[in-house]
Parts: sequence; structure tokens; C-alpha cells
Amino acid sequence: MLTIKKKKPYEAALEEISPLARRHEKKKFTRSAFELGIMVSFGVIFIAIFAYLPMFGLILAFKSGDGYLNILDAIFKSEWVGFDNFKAFFNDPDFKDVMLNTLGLNILQLCINFPAPILFAILLSELPWKKIRKTVQVITYFPYFLSWIVYGGIILALINSDGIINTVLLKLNIVSDPINFGESQYFWPTIIITSLLKGMGWGSIIYVAAIAGIDPQLFEAADMDGATRLHRIIHITIPSIAPTIVLFFILSVSGILNNGFDHIWTFQNQINLARSEVLDTFIYKYGAVNLQYSYTTAVGFFKSVVAIVLLGVGNWVAKKTTGSGIF
Amino acid sequence: MVTKKVYKKNQLMIGSTGRKQKKHLFDWINVSLLLVFSLMSVYPLIYVLAGSFSEGADYINGGIWLFPRVFSLENYNVVLNDIRLWKAYGITIARTILGTITGVIFTAIVAYAMSRPNLIGKPVIYRFFIFTMFFGGGLIPYFLVINVLGLFDSFWVYIIPALFSVYNMLVFVNFFKTIPEEIHESAVMDGASEFRIFFSILLPLSGPVVSTVALWIAVGHWNSFFETMIYTSNENLWTLQYYLMKVINESSMPAPGVSLPVELLNKVAPETVSLAAIIISVIPIFIIYPLILKTLTKGVVIGSLKG
Repeated sequence: MLTIKKKKPYEAALEEISPLARRHEKKKFTRSAFELGIMVSFGVIFIAIFAYLPMFGLILAFKSGDGYLNILDAIFKSEWVGFDNFKAFFNDPDFKDVMLNTLGLNILQLCINFPAPILFAILLSELPWKKIRKTVQVITYFPYFLSWIVYGGIILALINSDGIINTVLLKLNIVSDPINFGESQYFWPTIIITSLLKGMGWGSIIYVAAIAGIDPQLFEAADMDGATRLHRIIHITIPSIAPTIVLFFILSVSGILNNGFDHIWTFQNQINLARSEVLDTFIYKYGAVNLQYSYTTAVGFFKSVVAIVLLGVGNWVAKKTTGSGIF
Repeated sequence: MVTKKVYKKNQLMIGSTGRKQKKHLFDWINVSLLLVFSLMSVYPLIYVLAGSFSEGADYINGGIWLFPRVFSLENYNVVLNDIRLWKAYGITIARTILGTITGVIFTAIVAYAMSRPNLIGKPVIYRFFIFTMFFGGGLIPYFLVINVLGLFDSFWVYIIPALFSVYNMLVFVNFFKTIPEEIHESAVMDGASEFRIFFSILLPLSGPVVSTVALWIAVGHWNSFFETMIYTSNENLWTLQYYLMKVINESSMPAPGVSLPVELLNKVAPETVSLAAIIISVIPIFIIYPLILKTLTKGVVIGSLKG
């Protein structure tokens, strides 16, 4: 049988903590348990320092720690201000733009860059020439492994005023002057298109694997019944990979306030700020550069809370509609 | 999971079901679509390659698309003579090698303990770990911790915070659970300690998952620039990506210390120099790309996918 159990790390972990699994095994404190305890303590200490200690730092969000040169002073010597930092952010003249860019870019990504790899995987799997299929995979997976600095640098060279895109547009008389792709109105399309070029290939691999795991007898039976290709895709391929799609959809939804700092940062410049400033870049500039510690901690806190709420909502919707979620 | 050898090795790479059928119009449209997309994702690299071998003054006139019109090695000459490139290369290589080895071992040790049934307090520890996948303190509080630990402006800021990842730990745990319990039992009979079992039995048995996770960590180290930007202020700690960012963003001529001879000035342009720098930084990725493909396409079945 060509069934493969695709258990995600999450699921396995959750099985582990669910009370029904491995119930009431008497655990004795043996030498082995002691050694395992030491081993796991490495991770526990690490996570305590690098994940939970920063959460303690969230109290900065409720203090007036802006402008301190020493960030520790900002925590301990500043005054409590309640939710003032949050209010200040909601009233910030940039708030609307930042939120619009953050959400707008992400919703576009969710609508375009999320389904694109699925479609790509389906098209790949329908390709009857194996050699071409492999070639396409080898080529399109490559850009994923380059950094955004490198890939962005490459794209910037292409869309420069003396780059190939403008040269072609000028030659074909589509434009009379070179287009400045660094302007605001081109930022969103640039992000979406470069995301596709860099990530669609590799993004498809998990779906390719899922499609490869479908029992071929299903397809044979469908062929026997005279199903067209479209029928096969809609009634066999897509339902078979639906669990994978759902899992990744939930994860994408929870990342809706995460724009991928590297990506945005590479294409951001002084003239496209109106459309390119997102929460991540905003926090970096105001926090790490301008030392507005409290203000940006509040912004980051806001971001984390929204993300976790969205994760819950995404999971709930997925459970209601498809019967499977990640927890 | 990985032990389920239901696929032949290649099948995953090429996906699909291998049905024989007549070629339809759909197939031709499909193949052209996919080829056009492949071309689009690979062409930028070809363009950059052509640009990097072009004479600067000629390049900025535009119109180069496949081959350089006026061939020149001067861009590479300038980049390769930039001491900052070599320093950044050194830092990045050191960081990638050290970070990958320590990251894999540290994460795998914890994962090993988490995969053993007799670990005390496991459900609580799981919750403790998993919660941090979904909630964190954010940039500034994290920065604060880095600062307090004295990692600011230190090479170790590249290594220590990257030692452990909950996600990779879960991937390891999943794999370790597939290893037959008898192996562990017989080692215990022989009086081996858990550390001994981990290092001399478990780790050697975990080749596929170790190489998958190692490659993920390595590529991450190689490509990262954010740590340099935020946690260092010292040019000696620049990583390759950060150096590239400087060269590209500011289109600054590399090596202010090295004064360019006058006859060089029209041979190179900031743009072409940055293109040469890009190519030089891509070469290592290009070289290990076959290894990446081989390892990571298998890794998908292991469940070590990264979103």
C-alpha cells in the first residue's frame, strides 16, 4: 500500500502531551532518568533564557522607557504608564499606513503566494515528461536557497533604470522614460512577484511529496471510469492533499503580521516608505535605531497578541470546515 | 517515518504517479507554462553573471542581457581585492560550520531526552517548549537579553542564540521514536550511559535527519544578516550577507582604503562591482546545491519541512 503517514511535528508532540496517550506509566527516578534530565535541562535553560526572559521584558511596554541609553535602565528606572504606549501607537500618524501595508501585503500573499505552490505542484505532477519535470524542479528550487539580500540585489539590478526590464520596455516603445520601480506604487507588486519567483518552486515540494503519496490505484480507477484530467485533479488530487493544505494555511494565517523582514528590508528605500513600512521594519527602526524601547515593545506585543489570536481563529475555522486543525 | 521505503529514491524528486497517456493540448500548455516560469526564475542569475563580467561604463548604458558586450574581469578584481569581503567570508564560514555543528548536537541531545519514555515531567516540558513557537517577547526585549548576556558585539551572538530550535527538536524527536527500542535496551544491558547511547548509537543511526536539519541550519547561517545589523557594531564581525547589503545598498565602491587607479574608474561601476560580489557569494550555495537537493527532498518525508 502506498500510504504514508505524514505526521507533523506538532501533531506528534500534541499526542505526547494529551492525557490519553501514554497514561500512567510509572516513572522511576533511575540513573537513566537523571541523565535524561540533565540532557533536557540544556533545552529548558536555553528556552528559559532566550524565549521566556524576553517575555519578562514585555513589561517595558507598560513603562516610559523611551530614550534611555542603557536598556536595563529603561526597564528598572522608568515609570509605569499603563497602556499609554499602545494608545500612542494607535494614534501614531503612521499607524494606518503601517497596518495597511502589513495586512495588505500579507493578505495578498495569502491569496496569491499561498495557492501558487499548490497549483505549481499539481501542474508538475501532471507533466508526462519526467526529464523536463526534474529539470523544472532543479531550476525553480534554487532561488529559495539564496538570501534575500542576494536575490533582492539581483532583482534590483534587473529593474534598475539601466536594467534589462527598462531596456526592453524602452525598446518596445511601451514607455518613453525608464520606470523607477523604486516608487511606492510598485512596491507591493515587486514583493508579490519576487516572492513567487523565489519561493514558489521550493514551496511546492511538500505538495509534490503529498501528491506522490496518493495511491495510484485511485487514478487508475478514475481513468477506467472515464474521468477527465480536471475531474481527477478536483476529485482525487486536491482532496488527497487537503490535510497538508490546511496545516500550512493555518500556519500562514498566524504569520499574518510577519512580513519577512529580510524581504521587505531589501526592497525598501526612502521614496517607497509610504507603501513599504510594515510592523517589522517599523519596530526595528524605532526600537533598535531610535532607542524608543517601550514604544516598540508595545508595538511588538500588539503584534504577538494578534498573531496568537489569528492562529486560534485559523485553527478553529479549519476545524469547523475540514475537521482537522493543528491543535 | 523515513524508514517507510515505499518510494524508490527518485520518485519523490519527480513526484507524480507515472501514468502513461497520450499527450494532449493541455500537456503542451502545461509544459510551456512551467518552462517559462523556470526561465523566469533562473534568468536573473544569468543576467547578473553577464553584468558582473561587463565593463562598468558599458554596463550602465544598458542593453546587456545574455553576454557581456565589453568583457572585463575588473569587477572581480576590485571585489577580490577588498579585504572586507575576505573578512566577511571568514566570519560567515566560521559561523556556518561552528553554528551548524553545535546547533545540531545541542538540539539533538535535548530531542533524545524528549524521545525517551522515562523522562520525568515530559508533558510539562513539551508545553514549555511549544508555547514559545507561538508567542515571544519581540525584538526589543530579545535585544535586551542579548545585551545582558554580554553577547552584543561578540562573535558568539551568531552561535549561542542559534543553538536550539523547538521546531528542529520536534523533527528529531519524531525520528528518534522510529528507532527500534531493542537497540536502546541492549545498550542499557551493556551498561552504557544515556550520553554514551546518544553519541555512539543514536546519532550514527540518524544520518538522514541529522543531515537534513544540519543543512537547514547551515543555509540559515549562511544567509542571515539580521544579527549583524542589530547585535553588532563592529566591522570585523560583518557577515557576507551584511557586506553584500552594504555594497548593494550604498552602491559604495568597496575598500575605501584601496584607491583605485584612474584607468580603472571607467572600467568598473558600483553596480557591476556589486554584481560580481553577488556572484562570489552565490558560488558556495551553487556548489552544495546538488547536496541540498538530494538531502532536503528526502527530508520532506521526514517531516522536516520548513514553511
